Amino acid sequence: MLVFAASDKGGTGRSVTSANLAYRRALAGDEVCYLDFDFGSPTAAAVFGIPRVLDGFGHQGLHSYLWGTTDEPARIDVWASTERKTLRNRPSGSGRLVLLPADRDGGEFVTDDESLHRCVDLFLRLNAEFDVIVVDLSAGRSYAMDMVLRATSRPELRSVPARWLIYHRWTPQHVTAAADLVSGIVKAGADMGHEEEALAGAIRFVRAAVPAVGSPLLSQVPSTTARWMRAYDEKLDVMAANRGIGKTRVLGSVPLEPVLLICEQLITDEDVNGSRIANKATWQALVELSERLTDDAYWGQP
Amino acid sequence: MDATGETPRHVLTCGEVRTGLLPTRHCLDGRDAARLLALRTDEQVRVSERPNLHARSPDVLTGVDCRLPTANDAKIRAIGTVAARAVLTEGRVLQATAYFSAPAAGLDQRQPWGYYLVRPGVLVPLGRLPEQAVAAGFLARDRSAVPSGELGLGSIAEGLLGQLSRHPLLDHDVPFKSRRTRLRWAALPVQDSADASIERFTLDDDGLRTIELRLPQSTEPAAVAGLCEDLALHDWLLTTVVQKLDGIRMGAAEGAAVMNVVRPLVDHLLHLWMPSARVDRTLSPLWEVLETEPGFTRQWQTLVQRIRDQLTLQAIAAPAEASTAP
Ligand SMILES: Nc1ncnc2c1ncn2[C@@H]1O[C@H](COP(=O)(O)OP(=O)(O)OP(=O)(O)O)[C@@H](O)[C@H]1O
Ligand SMILES: [Mg+2]
Repeated sequence: MLVFAASDKGGTGRSVTSANLAYRRALAGDEVCYLDFDFGSPTAAAVFGIPRVLDGFGHQGLHSYLWGTTDEPARIDVWASTERKTLRNRPSGSGRLVLLPADRDGGEFVTDDESLHRCVDLFLRLNAEFDVIVVDLSAGRSYAMDMVLRATSRPELRSVPARWLIYHRWTPQHVTAAADLVSGIVKAGADMGHEEEALAGAIRFVRAAVPAVGSPLLSQVPSTTARWMRAYDEKLDVMAANRGIGKTRVLGSVPLEPVLLICEQLITDEDVNGSRIANKATWQALVELSERLTDDAYWGQP
Repeated sequence: MDATGETPRHVLTCGEVRTGLLPTRHCLDGRDAARLLALRTDEQVRVSERPNLHARSPDVLTGVDCRLPTANDAKIRAIGTVAARAVLTEGRVLQATAYFSAPAAGLDQRQPWGYYLVRPGVLVPLGRLPEQAVAAGFLARDRSAVPSGELGLGSIAEGLLGQLSRHPLLDHDVPFKSRRTRLRWAALPVQDSADASIERFTLDDDGLRTIELRLPQSTEPAAVAGLCEDLALHDWLLTTVVQKLDGIRMGAAEGAAVMNVVRPLVDHLLHLWMPSARVDRTLSPLWEVLETEPGFTRQWQTLVQRIRDQLTLQAIAAPAEASTAP
């Protein structure tokens, strides 16, 4: 299954949340790979605790692969390469977790037919090997997004399931921008030959870093603020529903997490149960999201 | 090169074969296998049904003018064509091989293309070929990527697999996920009419295998490719079944989850074990070496037993479910 991670704007939590979902799927036993298609600012490697990714490799990232200057994009086994010690012990029964990094100094680039073909080949090849292929796109519409829309419209990829996660923050501007982004995706996809209904049915929203009233983080806010926030929350719900981001199209939401506020990282079971630096609610939200990601019951209807 | 323009016999044959599950739900029958592998209009796909269904594409040629890898970083330029072919076993396992052979020496200057085109699958060196150093360079595992300008057999094989994967016959709805393996091989002539032998066979975690062979000089490059395809196929079967069985969570496994892993192996792979079925008669003794050490078939039988044990366990654990099933 291909999972495309997009977001309405930069800095929404797309990479961090997607990396956590990939990690959760691998823990559940799936063979998982994570492709950093955020060519402008690739950050996924850092989230997995591999800051010096591609050191000494030269140009073997996804840029180089799509450009045609390398035939084998570098693959990094996260379990074996991460600098986080608690991640090193791959639990029995977990699947592989492999990162395909972008080139370090690749930059955003214009794609052509040749890179489109290479992209199709890559997806086909990874699909034979992995249960879940997470593709981290850049914020908003990008060349990378157009390329994967085009790639998935090709007959070769028709029978490979593809799902879209649209990350957004929980504010009026983000709700509007996310809704606009999705109409843009569906329209562009239809122009490229996607069936509109099917494409729309494969898109779900993820609310990231949601400040939930009643969460430990906000336990100190004055009661007037809390009341106002609760009321506003409902207003946002209505606004979202009016913009086509109603409950049925939301896969889940991740609460505001203090740990993630200062460090982009995976939230491990140890972080929640052992050192207890991270909130149980965050952990729960990520587990739930990762289960819904591959559960057909949550997908299909536009 | 002698005065008549004949290319002397080759002193080196190298290849790389990539092996993986055909990316489609159901295995192909002989007719579809032939359609898939019809890489050329002027040459037939060879399909044979016995002892197992086996289809082989004609060779396709890629012209190259490149450096050859060497163990001692000597700069060797060679020009000619690399042959590539694909084989499909039981309509289920797809392999692509890219290979070439090379004579001990060539002219010091590049010739017109026609000269190379009449020598399909031959790379002619400029000057003398240090065949030992090239074989060693080719098999060196520490090269993480092929430097630009250097011969990349892997990418030729990969390109062929990519091309075949795009064929409309394939639906990409694989019965189970699996990894590809790569086997790099190099064959040098035996010394003084000694027997064919395997000098070295290495396995790596990342799916790379290397094998160095000593063969009578009269051995056809295509026969070596056939031997290595057969080795690669069986190594892939072992690797894949081990990975699948190891993936089963120890102890905690639920019946359904175990069956989801084991069933496809039974349905798609167990009947594929048939070592040396199509290997050239002169080369089949090499298989016997591998049967002793590391003991391919012995390992396979152990795995088959593990699968049977799992099936038996599931049958015992779920008698009620089984009896109520329609
Ligand atoms: N649930 C959360 N709670 C608090 N902070 C979060 C949460 N999720 C993500 N963040 C933080 O928000 C910041 C942006 O996250 P991230 O880098 O994942 O965003 P992005 O959408 O990938 O951004 P870009 O478009 O720049 O790639 C990071 O510092 C991250 O740690
Ligand atoms: Mg990011």
